[in-house]
Amino acid sequence: MTVRKRLTEHGILPGDIPTGQMLERIVRVDHAGEYGAVRIYKGQLSVLGNSPVGDTIREMAEQEREHLETFDNLIAERRVRPTALMPVWHVAGYALGAATAMMGERAAMACTAAIEEVIDDHYAQQAALLGDDEAELRDTIEKFREDELEHRDTALEHDAELAPGYEILSTAIKKGSRLAIWLSQRV
Amino acid sequence: MTDVDDGIDTALRDRLIVATLAHTPFDGWSQAALRAGARDIDIAEDVAQAAFPHGTRDMIRHFSRWADRCMVAGLEAADLEDMRIRERVAIAVELRLEALEPHKEAVRRGLSWLAMPQNAVLGARLLYRTVDDIWYAVGDRSADFSFYTKRGLLAGVVGSTTLFWLDDDSEGGTETSDFLDRRIADVMRISSVRRRTEDLKMKTPNPLRILRDVARKRYGGQALRGGSHSG
Repeated sequence: MTVRKRLTEHGILPGDIPTGQMLERIVRVDHAGEYGAVRIYKGQLSVLGNSPVGDTIREMAEQEREHLETFDNLIAERRVRPTALMPVWHVAGYALGAATAMMGERAAMACTAAIEEVIDDHYAQQAALLGDDEAELRDTIEKFREDELEHRDTALEHDAELAPGYEILSTAIKKGSRLAIWLSQRV
Repeated sequence: MTDVDDGIDTALRDRLIVATLAHTPFDGWSQAALRAGARDIDIAEDVAQAAFPHGTRDMIRHFSRWADRCMVAGLEAADLEDMRIRERVAIAVELRLEALEPHKEAVRRGLSWLAMPQNAVLGARLLYRTVDDIWYAVGDRSADFSFYTKRGLLAGVVGSTTLFWLDDDSEGGTETSDFLDRRIADVMRISSVRRRTEDLKMKTPNPLRILRDVARKRYGGQALRGGSHSG
């Protein structure tokens, strides 16, 4: 008996966007997301760079930079246009990072935890959409997802949940991240 | 933005379009021209119609993409290694016009069709595809916002140069080449202005730096001991 390969297009139902377009959206939104992440950590480091958590943040920022590099290459290889909202994420990411960092180390960690949690969901959804013909992209996403989960755990270990107004802050940031994902897929 | 793949071979469409080109000066981008072209190369009428189900729209789209592919093939054959980007881009635009040179009348008719408001979106798409192909072929792999500025600027260059070329009767199209060089020089001027404004920006007070100073006060000793910040 031959094992049938599960192709990406097998998951497409009538009314869904075509496979090619879906793959473009995946690469576009992930590129935008990693770019945003790099900017957020940069914003955090501008405030907390020399604080005790500076090195932890720097470590996570370094990983995000590697992720971004991977997606930079994917954008070029697959000829997907990057999102037109890049300048917005450039400013918004930095501002979010700097603002939460000014609220304190715990708030900065709460911000990281909230975002990484959304990204974890988002990457899991994408990995489920991709079939064996896109195994390489799927593995990349799975690997990055593990990194992002690690970041979330690191943030929780650093008392993210003890930040003042944690629930409100976390909910607001999650809502914002989901909106950013929705926009970056399309624009 | 991938080309539609419906099982009909691109090579067949190419042959049909090239055969139709001989008739467009007389019949425009019409079914009559397509039929006459198909007859010339012994392809059944219904096959020709199936290849371009939306008629004029599909034919013009394929014609534009055909020219793009000719250009990309020409660029691959050319030796671009030692050239600067602006020279590569100039060669790309010229290669595309070279492919279109025998079909000026078809291009003129196609452009007037695309200029109609109901077809403007397709016109913009085709122009985007052309400049996207050019930037990719000359080796640009940008993944930031310059992706858009590059394409926008080049769209202006390609559009204006193509219009100029339509009315250029000079020997060997030398006037078009000069026109193209001037347009590219204009674009280069934009980037030098940008560099100047960026220098200026560095000298103006930065609100983020002020915020950072506030934060530094908050973390007082630690931050000051650590010296200057990154970012």
